[in-house]
Amino acid sequence: MKSTQYSEKVLDHFRNPRNVGTLEGKGVAVGRVGNPVCGDLMEFYIKVKDDRIEDIKFKTFGCGSAIATASMITELAKGKTVDEALKITRQDVADELEGLPPIKMHCSNLAADALKNAIKAYKEKQEPLSKQETMAEGPKKIVGMDQFKGQGVYEEIYDLSLFKDRRVMILERGERSIELALELTKLTPRVVFVTGKKSLDASILSEKLAKSSVKILYESELLEVRGLNTVEKVLMHDMNEDEEYELFVDGVVILRNE
Amino acid sequence: MSVYLDYQSAKPVDPRVIEAMLPYFHEKFGNPSSLHSVGDTATEILEESRKTIARFIGADHDEVIFTSGATESNNHALIGYALRHKDSGNHIVISEIEHISIHNIAKYLERNGFVVSKIPVDQFGRVSLEKLAERVSETTILVSVGYASDEIGTIQPISDIGKFCRERNIAFHSDIVAAEGLMPIDVNRENIDLLSMSSNDIYGPKGLGILYVRKGTRINPLIIGGGQERGLRSGTENVPAVVGMKRAVEIMQQEMSEETTRFQRYRDRLIEETLTTVPRCYLNGHPTDRLPNNAHFRFDGIEGESLLLSFKEKNIEVSTGSACSSKTLEPSHTLIALGLLHEEAHGSLEITFGRFNEDGDVDSVLEVLPGIVSRLRKLSPLYKEETKS
Repeated sequence: MKSTQYSEKVLDHFRNPRNVGTLEGKGVAVGRVGNPVCGDLMEFYIKVKDDRIEDIKFKTFGCGSAIATASMITELAKGKTVDEALKITRQDVADELEGLPPIKMHCSNLAADALKNAIKAYKEKQEPLSKQETMAEGPKKIVGMDQFKGQGVYEEIYDLSLFKDRRVMILERGERSIELALELTKLTPRVVFVTGKKSLDASILSEKLAKSSVKILYESELLEVRGLNTVEKVLMHDMNEDEEYELFVDGVVILRNE
Repeated sequence: MSVYLDYQSAKPVDPRVIEAMLPYFHEKFGNPSSLHSVGDTATEILEESRKTIARFIGADHDEVIFTSGATESNNHALIGYALRHKDSGNHIVISEIEHISIHNIAKYLERNGFVVSKIPVDQFGRVSLEKLAERVSETTILVSVGYASDEIGTIQPISDIGKFCRERNIAFHSDIVAAEGLMPIDVNRENIDLLSMSSNDIYGPKGLGILYVRKGTRINPLIIGGGQERGLRSGTENVPAVVGMKRAVEIMQQEMSEETTRFQRYRDRLIEETLTTVPRCYLNGHPTDRLPNNAHFRFDGIEGESLLLSFKEKNIEVSTGSACSSKTLEPSHTLIALGLLHEEAHGSLEITFGRFNEDGDVDSVLEVLPGIVSRLRKLSPLYKEETKS
């Protein structure tokens, strides 16, 4: 079976997804799941009243079956108590959709997990756990940084033209790093800006950055610089998903802290 | 009728090719190995076809062997050369953006004692000579770089790579499938020693290809049997398909220049209008050094399979490098090699034009594309930042 041979029901939910959107306000909980296999992303918003899911909305970045399974599970969960909704399995979703291609079964997992996370978030709100946000934000040693110093890793830039048409990664080091990122967009189409924060501190500069062609990686950290003689790729850590991945770049700029 | 914009995946056989093939199924059905006159007829057309096809890439007739397609040719070139020369060295160099068949053959060779290095590409998908030079050593026996990327359409500096290899006495293989019929290719000008080409990619029948082997370049056979194709590729030759490929070459020689000018017009218009009408949309691959029929985009916040499905609903057939549409659920290795993140590789759309497209096909895409993109973005949790700002 091909990965895109979908049932009519799947296609119907893909064409006309039910309950798309977001919810806000009292009693609303959010669940978010990213799929390490294919990179899909799902968000569920539930509004619970007297332990019953009164309203539910979703957003999905993913393939046809990801959209269809998310849409279907909102229909299944709506009106159920949170405990009933927790019992919805991926098989239930797939069955309601008249089957999914085997390779796409993980999509229904994703939908079930995202819903569970939303319910979990709701329950945690009910019984607030004393969660400690650990802020172990000490400057970590980046592997390979010394080896590639001057060979793709730079702590100071004297000549911007070095980066003409190169893929540059800039680590957040205050306003100067944002200015540098913006400046470099004139020389190369690929500038990646890395910050450990969830969002940038509001300022005119960071607003400019968000609107520019710079690709911003939030909640991310650089673990390692790799290459043969010069920098060719980096190992990144997505702290939100707790995943590591490689990214091809030609240069890394880590300005010295003032 | 749907609008077909995926010529990179498969091409219809030109009706003139089918016509040329037909007599060779029943009337002139002979086996070239037979010594009677029916066999002689087959031998004649086989050798005549070999000459025509060889000339198309600037080769001599005795440098071309027929295979079942470019995948077999790639297997034969890499494995056949590696096995033959394993005493001279065990190191092979390929690029990060080779066709999947080359990547998987390289993995197979690694499991069998060879060492494989991959040359990274720049953000436009071009292999750099410096990075190649950093990788070759005394044990390097073979370099394989595809003529152009089948996905993003970037054309490689093939003659420079060929020259580099020639000077160091390293054999150079190139898979030309993505580029054949879209630009003139010459094995001597480009210093190519081994070359894979398919019949279908010039509107000939599927199931046939050639392997070019430069005189003096030695390879081992992979398919062993009755000793056809100078002992390099046994099995009775597929004469009807060979005749088809010959006809396809003849037509291509006549029409390539007009045809590629036409594709380039479609391509340039599609790229220009898409980039200006759709926000947060980018061109993948090289802005100018790209195949005349290839347009490859990515859109922030949306995923390629749902793009493809949406086009399908509008009767437009396109392609994507998204993981969700692949057999392995891995995103395209080519897009990752460009330096894209997984989520960016996900949102890609590949459109490739071919012989039977018309100006109106570009209109069909442009009519529906902005609507499809904005609908999918409304569903996407990754696009909300942009919509607020």
